[in-house]
Amino acid sequence: MWGSRSPETARRNLLIVIGIAIAIVIYSFGIDQTDIDLRETQDETRQTSVTRALRELLSPDIFDQDSESQFAAVSMQLRCEDDGAASEITAPSGSEPTVVVVTGCVSSGDVITVEGFNFRPNTPAVLRWIPPNGESRPLTPVGTTDIVFDVDSDGHFATQVTVPRIRGEDEAHQIQAEARWGVGLPFASDTTHLVIEKMIETVLTALMATTLAIPIAFAISFLAARNLMKQVSVPAGNVFVGVILLPVGWILGTMLYGAVGQFGVELGSGELFNGATAEAAAPAVLLLLASVAGGVKRRQNVAGTGISVRLRVFGLNVLMVAVGIFVFGVLGGLALTASEVLDSGFLATFGNALGTIGDIIELTIVGVGGLVGAVMLSSFSANLVQHTLKDLRGIESHVAGFVLGGVMGAVILGLVALFGTQGALLGLFAPVVTAILGAQAAAALYTYVFNVDKRAFNVTKTQATGRLIASIVGAVIMFVIAAEMLDLSRALVQGRLPAEDTFRFFGVAFPVRSFIGKAMLMGAILSGIMGALSGVHESIPVGMTIYNGSRTILNAMRSIEPLIMGIVFVIWVGVGPFAGVLALGLHSIAALGKLYSEQIENIDNGPLEAIQSTGATRLQTIIYGVVPQIIPPYIAFTLYRWDINVRMSTIIGFVGGGGIGFILQQQINLLQYRDAGVAMLAIAIVVSVLDYMSATIRERII
Amino acid sequence: MAGVTPPLPSFVCERFMLKIEHLTKIYDNGVKALDDVSFEVPDGQFVAIIGLSGSGKSTLLRCINRLIEPTDGRILWNDIDITSANDEELRLIRRRIGMIFQQFNLVKRSKVITNVLAGRLGYTNQFMSFINHFSKEDYEDALAKLERVGIADKADNRADELSGGQQQRVGIARALMQDPELMLADEPVASLDPATSHSVMKYLELLNKEDGISILCSLHFLSLARTYSDRVIALKDGRIEFDGPAQDIDEVRFKEIYGEDAVRVEIE
Ligand SMILES: Nc1ncnc2c1ncn2[C@@H]1O[C@H](COP(=O)(O)OP(=O)(O)O)[C@@H](O)[C@H]1O
Ligand SMILES: [Mg+2]
Repeated sequence: MWGSRSPETARRNLLIVIGIAIAIVIYSFGIDQTDIDLRETQDETRQTSVTRALRELLSPDIFDQDSESQFAAVSMQLRCEDDGAASEITAPSGSEPTVVVVTGCVSSGDVITVEGFNFRPNTPAVLRWIPPNGESRPLTPVGTTDIVFDVDSDGHFATQVTVPRIRGEDEAHQIQAEARWGVGLPFASDTTHLVIEKMIETVLTALMATTLAIPIAFAISFLAARNLMKQVSVPAGNVFVGVILLPVGWILGTMLYGAVGQFGVELGSGELFNGATAEAAAPAVLLLLASVAGGVKRRQNVAGTGISVRLRVFGLNVLMVAVGIFVFGVLGGLALTASEVLDSGFLATFGNALGTIGDIIELTIVGVGGLVGAVMLSSFSANLVQHTLKDLRGIESHVAGFVLGGVMGAVILGLVALFGTQGALLGLFAPVVTAILGAQAAAALYTYVFNVDKRAFNVTKTQATGRLIASIVGAVIMFVIAAEMLDLSRALVQGRLPAEDTFRFFGVAFPVRSFIGKAMLMGAILSGIMGALSGVHESIPVGMTIYNGSRTILNAMRSIEPLIMGIVFVIWVGVGPFAGVLALGLHSIAALGKLYSEQIENIDNGPLEAIQSTGATRLQTIIYGVVPQIIPPYIAFTLYRWDINVRMSTIIGFVGGGGIGFILQQQINLLQYRDAGVAMLAIAIVVSVLDYMSATIRERII
Repeated sequence: MAGVTPPLPSFVCERFMLKIEHLTKIYDNGVKALDDVSFEVPDGQFVAIIGLSGSGKSTLLRCINRLIEPTDGRILWNDIDITSANDEELRLIRRRIGMIFQQFNLVKRSKVITNVLAGRLGYTNQFMSFINHFSKEDYEDALAKLERVGIADKADNRADELSGGQQQRVGIARALMQDPELMLADEPVASLDPATSHSVMKYLELLNKEDGISILCSLHFLSLARTYSDRVIALKDGRIEFDGPAQDIDEVRFKEIYGEDAVRVEIE
């Protein structure tokens, strides 16, 4: 029998057996670790409490009603001479509500029968023990857990209660009966009001978080779309120059555009008119606007690739962007002004909102300026030097590659290391980036030494393996060296920031910290090697690098739960809905960024090709070819995300993020399950209504 | 680029606006789609490129405006080397080379007029296109181009509301906005019925005859090539199998190009 089986069947069977064995082990361990114990669910006291909690949750305190009561009391005799002589109950003659006690003389612990007459028929009633000091205690009828009982249809009740422990037996104690019934229409309870208020806060939290995420996710989605980024490859020389000039552009951008933007904010907010510069400013601005308008008209017809033409075009672009930023700043300033004017009554809400928008613009305008400056300067200079670099041949190209590549590596690792000085764990990035550079340098060396063809289809399997091994070895070696040089154990083990000593190289002191200096040195060497090997002409898949980078960041961000982000933001901006907005917003950026970029990857590439072939720039291709195609799915996914955010914002309050979760948690902690029931009902209603709405709208769009 | 070409000096036989030299394209997966292709196109010629599907027609056309990067060889256009142009230079070259496609490649959700205006992007400042701004002349020009291909009344329709033939005419109008000297057409009528095919081909013929635009048009059917082109280049497995006037393709040549089993199909 065994001999007749093929070895494949035997191996498959063996695999199945091993698989089952592993599954058994995993599940046994799982049952053990998760404390699964069904006896717990059978426990009597736990069942009573869960029944009570569920019953209260299912009787939410939604409505309230005005009520009327009838009171009646009977005095209790506690010290008796003729012990045990029970008096007969006789129905009172009047029509007033009356309480009668069967036993005339009682002591603590006795079960007595209390009877009531002439109460309002079919009405809930309670009994209370009122001692001389007036601190009444409710009396629970014997044999029940509910203190409320019903008056019968004749207005009579007879209820057995236990006499509580008594102090002050010489004085007058009373048993009081109260029958209470509602009058008029029911109205929303205080809990309901609170819940509605918090629910609005919750929905708005979700709205703000989604809104915050949309523009950022929109921008990122283009960088994380494979089909757009795949084509982007740039000659090495351009990459080197572009990266080197990023920080320079940032600094210049914050200086020029930041200043222009702030000037705009000041102008708009009227701060400027306090100073004397106001008269000079207005004409200057008008002049600027006019010259730009003239320039734009001329720009339409500018053609050619000469340096002077490029410089002129660049100058005009710089001006136009400056005007854009200026206008943006003025708008921000005007928003601030408006918020000061609209500070009362109904309009105050708008004023407040405008003020916030103005604040945001005022706070971010320098950063925005820096960003724009960095992108503009680096792309322009990269294009410009292309002219010079183009004519470099042979060894010149490799020397230029070595120099420019080296500077680029220094800049990159310098920035990474600077980032690393902000937190101990962030210091890890420097060795990691060094290792990545090491891997690439090693692969480049391998390719050079063994003369591997650059084109993928010409690379043999052995060569590919060899290159892979080379890059792994390079990465490991460089990681170890960097970890050693940068004193990584200090950050990892002791959790301490890098030391602040000065960087020295061959006895010369540099004005940077040694941590940063060493990192820059390693970056320069590795990147210099790569630059020397590649020269300045080899085309570098910059697009795929950006694609991989942004995908990694998005995935990492998505893996952090909003509740955990919420904890951090609560520490940062305090308890309240703002923390919730930030936490959900950040998570939404990651989630939407991924969804959006997948939509870009799904578009029809034909129109892109067509628009590209007309001589359009990349930006124009995206605006005319990509954007019209992605608008509908973007709207659909944004609605979907809002829907999810509403769901999440209902619980973000559990960690202090505001909204309904915040009061739900309080109610649960205080065992106010009837109130919690209202909150839960509200969540269920709002979530399902929004779910339905967004599904309907999405269906129509797609 | 009016129809009149200046008289050439006697020592120059013809002015070649497009020269393809030893063009080779090997895709990343190792497929050799073009194998040492060389030919020259004089100003104002209508060239049909025929061949079985997979013979490299699309690859050839896309290499000319570098939608695909050639692996080897040179493409010279009015003495400019397209193959070594940098991004900016390539843009300036591309805007004088129109292209139309089998699938029309319009932005379906955009208006017809917007699709046509997109042909002008190479001449527009990209910060202006950010706010969707085109000059008034461009608008008038776009309407004139639509008028020319006979669908001015559709300017405000969404592109996907048009029939296939109409969409291809929008494609032609878009290419015309570029003020092209050369038009690349990649099987422009392969998705159209015979009657519509002829109407689209007639527009291309018109551009060639009236505006003097040189045309490189890949076609499935020899009959279309015969009707409209001055010259036929036949590709087979990425190599030029035939280059000459359409009348010279006899039964034997036909079988060489399309294979032994091929039967002539005519399109009226
Ligand atoms: N992007 C690509 N990647 C790999 N191979 C391709 C690609 N595009 C086309 N090919 C191959 O190149 C050859 C020529 O294709 P193509 O130029 O599209 O021919 P045609 O347009 O004549 O049908 C075919 O064998 C095709 O499979
Ligand atoms: Mg094709």
